[in-house]
Amino acid sequence: MTAISPVSPDARRIWAAARGPLLIGVIILGAAIVITLLRGSGEGGSLDPRSYRPEGSRAVAHLLEQNGVRVELTDDASAVDGATLFVTHPNLIDPARLADLSRRAAATVLVAPAGGVGQVEARTRQPGCPLAAKAGAATTGGFVYEGEQRCYDSTVVRTGTVTALGHGAVFTNRDLDSEGNAALALSLLGGHERLVWYVPSAADRSQQKSLTDLVPDGWKFGALQLGVAAVLIALWRARRLGRVVPEPLPVVVRATETVEGRARLYRRSHAAGHAAAVLRQAARDRITPLLGLPAGEDPSDEIARRTSRPVAEVRTLLSSAEPVDDRGLVALASRLDALENEVRKG
Amino acid sequence: MALTGRAGLLALVGVLVVGLLLPSWQGILVVLAVLVLGVAVDLALAAGVRRLTFARAGATSVRTGELCEVQLTVHNPGRRLRGVLRDAWAPSAGVVADRVPIDVPAGGARVLSFELRPLRRGDRVADRVTVRSLGPLGIAARQGSHEVPWTVRALPPFHSRRHLPSLLERLRELDGRRASLIRGAGTEFDSLRSYVIGDDVRSIDWRASARSTDVVVRTWRPERDRQVVVVLDTARTSAGRVEGSLGGLPRLDTSMDAALLLSALAAQARDQVDFVAFSHRLRASVPRASLPALVRAMAPLEAELVEFDARGAVAEVLRRAGRRSLVVLLTSLEPSIEHGLLPLLPAVASRHRLLIASVSDPAVHAMASGRGDLEAVYAAAAAERTLAERRRLTALLARHGVEVVDALPDDLPRALADRYLSLKAAGKL
Repeated sequence: MTAISPVSPDARRIWAAARGPLLIGVIILGAAIVITLLRGSGEGGSLDPRSYRPEGSRAVAHLLEQNGVRVELTDDASAVDGATLFVTHPNLIDPARLADLSRRAAATVLVAPAGGVGQVEARTRQPGCPLAAKAGAATTGGFVYEGEQRCYDSTVVRTGTVTALGHGAVFTNRDLDSEGNAALALSLLGGHERLVWYVPSAADRSQQKSLTDLVPDGWKFGALQLGVAAVLIALWRARRLGRVVPEPLPVVVRATETVEGRARLYRRSHAAGHAAAVLRQAARDRITPLLGLPAGEDPSDEIARRTSRPVAEVRTLLSSAEPVDDRGLVALASRLDALENEVRKG
Repeated sequence: MALTGRAGLLALVGVLVVGLLLPSWQGILVVLAVLVLGVAVDLALAAGVRRLTFARAGATSVRTGELCEVQLTVHNPGRRLRGVLRDAWAPSAGVVADRVPIDVPAGGARVLSFELRPLRRGDRVADRVTVRSLGPLGIAARQGSHEVPWTVRALPPFHSRRHLPSLLERLRELDGRRASLIRGAGTEFDSLRSYVIGDDVRSIDWRASARSTDVVVRTWRPERDRQVVVVLDTARTSAGRVEGSLGGLPRLDTSMDAALLLSALAAQARDQVDFVAFSHRLRASVPRASLPALVRAMAPLEAELVEFDARGAVAEVLRRAGRRSLVVLLTSLEPSIEHGLLPLLPAVASRHRLLIASVSDPAVHAMASGRGDLEAVYAAAAAERTLAERRRLTALLARHGVEVVDALPDDLPRALADRYLSLKAAGKL
């Protein structure tokens, strides 16, 4: 007795094999959905004028627009002439470029730039200087700077047209409504008709140095030596062990090519009439021996007798010489087939 | 000369040396100098390749698709040779592994064995033997090639030999070995013997009985020692590839298979087979062919893109077939027969029996039954036209007394052998 063991898997085995990967897939998908829901749909990071999140700045941007200031969000800040330039992350920009931009801008506001001389916590402070007298108390802190005009215990400092803030709290959605934050923000950013809101991207910083500048000098020669090694390895791989041997191939042609060529010729010249004649002749040649008639005899009468079709119809179908068009040819082929099948059955 | 992977590896180690120890142009030059020195030492100390001598032995013929072995002997007159040897053959020779590592002692010899499994029929010729002789450091090698001629003839596969047992069974039935005293067509007088109860009284030879004291009967046997001339058409039409169960084979290969089966059968039936391959000239001819000689003659034949010279082929057949013979022409039923062969038929048919075997194409039959769209119907009309042409030619040939076997590639060898047996049974050879 031979045990029969089927090789193709049944449903249970397919399930057993697939449930592991399926479970992992479901877990990944579920985790992705949960994380996306928890993170919310707000876009942008901190101090982004499009962001509704607590650390975003949608509220202050909206206030500025209401006061007739045009807010332009940008990540390269080329057209700053005559406008207020507001830089949320000045440390991501090349210092020389930042200096150039602030020279061209009518006023510049920087949030927590480098160069602080100390750090304090963020809390409500009194201005203590004419610059922000109108605003009154505001939430400031972060870095402490040196400069010409120092306010809020040196956490807001102006030197020429450049104002540096130690912390960006006054511009955030969360703190805008407390104390005189809104007034301070508006007085700092709303001084001119146009505000260029510069959110630098990480790419701004990498322009400074090319890769070759970062590589130690010694390794440049190492790279040259690497080129030498590459050449040697190429020589090793390129050297064949003896020449390529060609294969003497015999002449082989597909035998049906002449038949296919003839079919294309028929089609191109729309020789439907000729094709119809050939198909009719072939059908006659096949049916005649089926009926036991000698070759070359007209089988129409015998077919009509067996299939109870009118003789005239059969004769027209099998041996009419009337012209046929392309569509008629396809129909004729099917009708000839049908007739032949009837004869075979009958 | 050839470098090895070790040279590249050494240069890579040089990257560390240059990068960490000598980051300068001098460093690169130092590493390069070390490499060049290593290569020079290797080339100087590697065994010479030029003075090696080779000899071959082993198989000279093998059936296509089967394994054979060719030995290559390497004599090394110089110092010890280590390295790689490649025995190059054309791809269709089907060398299983053409690269082997070798280690030949100084003044010694090694025999290497290469296995071949030819993929195609014909003469498979060895190309060069190339040796790469490594130096002691393994950084560089000397390399050179030698011509060591050898030819392995890949014989036709003879797939249809599986039909042979059943055909031989039929032949025995026909033959006197299944003794029958019935005189029928296709038999000739064998001998006289005395009557035994059970013998057919119609076979009693009264004249011989009158001379003897016993009643004597005649015994009969099928005719034998007839001549069969097999003519293989290797011209234009034999190059056509036709799809069968063995994949797409040229008509020529199917015809060869049929010719081999017929010849094997005829040899068993004690008929004499003459083989002629013809295109526009005589390609091969084997008088009184034995099966091995036939296979050997067929192996290198390939189709030529020329027109079949029917006049030359007929002249060749008439020259060979002295007495009344069966002439089997393996060709293709194409309209060109009408101008080429047909006018010459009376000359052959009056003296010999002519049998034409042709490979028909299943693809044409498939096209003929194509329906549905316009393209298929036009293709069907073209195919029907071709089939009608073949039917007309078959009828035309039959009118001249020529037998025609027109069969699909898978069926042709068997159909031809069956026709031969029925001709033999009917005594029409």
